[in-house]
Amino acid sequence: MAFTQFVVNGLLIGALFAAVAVGFALIWGVVDIINLAHGEMVMLGGYTSYWVLTLVTGNAEGSPLLFLVTIPVAILVLFGVGYALQRTLVSRVIGTDIFLTLLVTFGISIAIQQLALQAWSANPRSIQVSFADPSFTVAGLVVPKMKLVAFVGAIVLTAALYLFLQKTRTGRAIRAVSQNPEAAALVGIDVEHTRAVTFGVSSAIAGGVGAFIATILNIQPQMGLIYTLKSFVIVVFGGVGSIPGALVGGLLLGSVEELTAGFISSRWTLAVSFTLLIVLLVVKPQGLFGEGAEQ
Amino acid sequence: MSAESESNSGLLRSLVPPDQVDRLFGVCGAHGWKLLAASAVVGALPPLLGLQQGYYMTVISEMFLFAILALSWDIVGGQTGYPSFGNMAFFGIGAYTTAILIKDFAISFPVAMVVAGLVAVAFAAVIGAVVLRLRGHYFAIATLGVLLAAQQISRNLDITGGASGKILLEVPSGTVFYYLFLGVLVVEMGVVYYLSNTRFGFILNAIRDDEEKATAMGFNTTYYKTAAWMLASLFTGVAGGAYSLFNTFIDPQTAYNGAWNVELIAMALLGGSGTVAGPVIGAFGLHTVIEVVETAFVGWQLVLLGIVVIVTVIGFPEGAVGTLREYASEMEYYKRGGMAATDSGEEVSADE
Repeated sequence: MAFTQFVVNGLLIGALFAAVAVGFALIWGVVDIINLAHGEMVMLGGYTSYWVLTLVTGNAEGSPLLFLVTIPVAILVLFGVGYALQRTLVSRVIGTDIFLTLLVTFGISIAIQQLALQAWSANPRSIQVSFADPSFTVAGLVVPKMKLVAFVGAIVLTAALYLFLQKTRTGRAIRAVSQNPEAAALVGIDVEHTRAVTFGVSSAIAGGVGAFIATILNIQPQMGLIYTLKSFVIVVFGGVGSIPGALVGGLLLGSVEELTAGFISSRWTLAVSFTLLIVLLVVKPQGLFGEGAEQ
Repeated sequence: MSAESESNSGLLRSLVPPDQVDRLFGVCGAHGWKLLAASAVVGALPPLLGLQQGYYMTVISEMFLFAILALSWDIVGGQTGYPSFGNMAFFGIGAYTTAILIKDFAISFPVAMVVAGLVAVAFAAVIGAVVLRLRGHYFAIATLGVLLAAQQISRNLDITGGASGKILLEVPSGTVFYYLFLGVLVVEMGVVYYLSNTRFGFILNAIRDDEEKATAMGFNTTYYKTAAWMLASLFTGVAGGAYSLFNTFIDPQTAYNGAWNVELIAMALLGGSGTVAGPVIGAFGLHTVIEVVETAFVGWQLVLLGIVVIVTVIGFPEGAVGTLREYASEMEYYKRGGMAATDSGEEVSADE
């Protein structure tokens, strides 16, 4: 029974990891950049939601509905942040050495993280969402309602991104730029703008997920790098450019972490994730679902 | 890059003509060993002239420490073209090795430090065999993963003191560390300088420039990459081993400091990656700036670091030495009449 309970917890958390990773994979696939500042978008999204809620209610507590209203705000703000970052900084290193692109995003990550530390201190914060009855039981398994809301929210965000990429004109432009930037430019797509939109959309999703993370875990300025690396684990596992792969990867990573926490100790979850990352990179760098990453 | 330097170099060029810079490079190249010896002597002077302890003593020792780390990073990152985000793992392993040996096994400091270096090398050999098979994004992230995994493991083990780390009370005086860091730095510069003119050094550069061609030439690139990686880990491990005593305190956050890892990459890049003097100059320069900012605006030094990294990468990824070298080599270009039509010709002949 304990095993099933841990897996359920893991799946609930894993959807959030997956939604973060999907954005990370999108930037990787379209802009060809490993965005080491991706985790900072999660952090900023969490803080945006936190501060909006604090502004409205006076403390970071609220009804589920009120909390859900802050999500679009976080999404919009983070879209702006992502768009601006790509337009002003990241676009300048596209096409240069891979290492330089990594370093620029790492620089952005440090700058954002430290500015947040200066502004909001290192204290972990969290959003308290009040339910009349915080959890319910199905077949002996305890399901916290907020985790379920977060799970559904993350799935909705991932699905929305998928539909956006498949069905809309901008989404098609993004996929075109990902396949061949020159040809995309030839048929009249503004490549720079499309890349910035990609960056914005990815950051927006990360921001929305960050708000959910603020309710079920907590947020603090230095949380970002862990989410970036988890995204990397998931993307490597699922394959670059595969949204279903990222979803499966996220759910699996969540389960592995919860099982580690449950059966060994919660102190070992991160060590296990990072070791998993190294093992995966070495054993199966092309991923399980992906188109095969070029070395 | 060169177009940029041409637009603003009118005054600069008359003050410091490119060919003099070029000549400077020539002198440096011809008298490398003498310059290194002279720098070592100059570096050894301050304590003899009365600087025994206090703030400046610590700051200068830290500069030497960062120069060691930046130069070690550059052996693999700059010379071999494998930019690692996990060099601090060697540092942390070295630091913990001495801390544990001295505190729990009562082994003397010099022996513990040598062991620290050897443990770091052994770790590098194992990890290198795994991660050096990866390239590009994958290598960079894998090394970052190594760093964070090492940090998490140290946080959870009992022998490392867990999250609270280890405190070392009986430590040698500041002068000892000053000369220790200086000595290691000078030895490392000597080794890197020597290697840069050997077959080994050339093969490392060949791997950086085109690994497939280097393999096709018949070199066992894995062997050379791993050797460079282990050499870097030796110096980083020894430096880390000394650091835990220098700092009198070690915990997972300081030992495996990801921000430091970026800091030393920034130092190598700022100074000039792939050179001997570049990372050292970068380390001295950036550490001075960070130290000044840290005193003036406590807590903002890492914000500055982030900005410095972004500006360096976007502005001049060749670094100080690389940019100067580019500037110097312009002169050769003019002599062949390259830009004679667009630039004033008299400057070209003025110094000849």
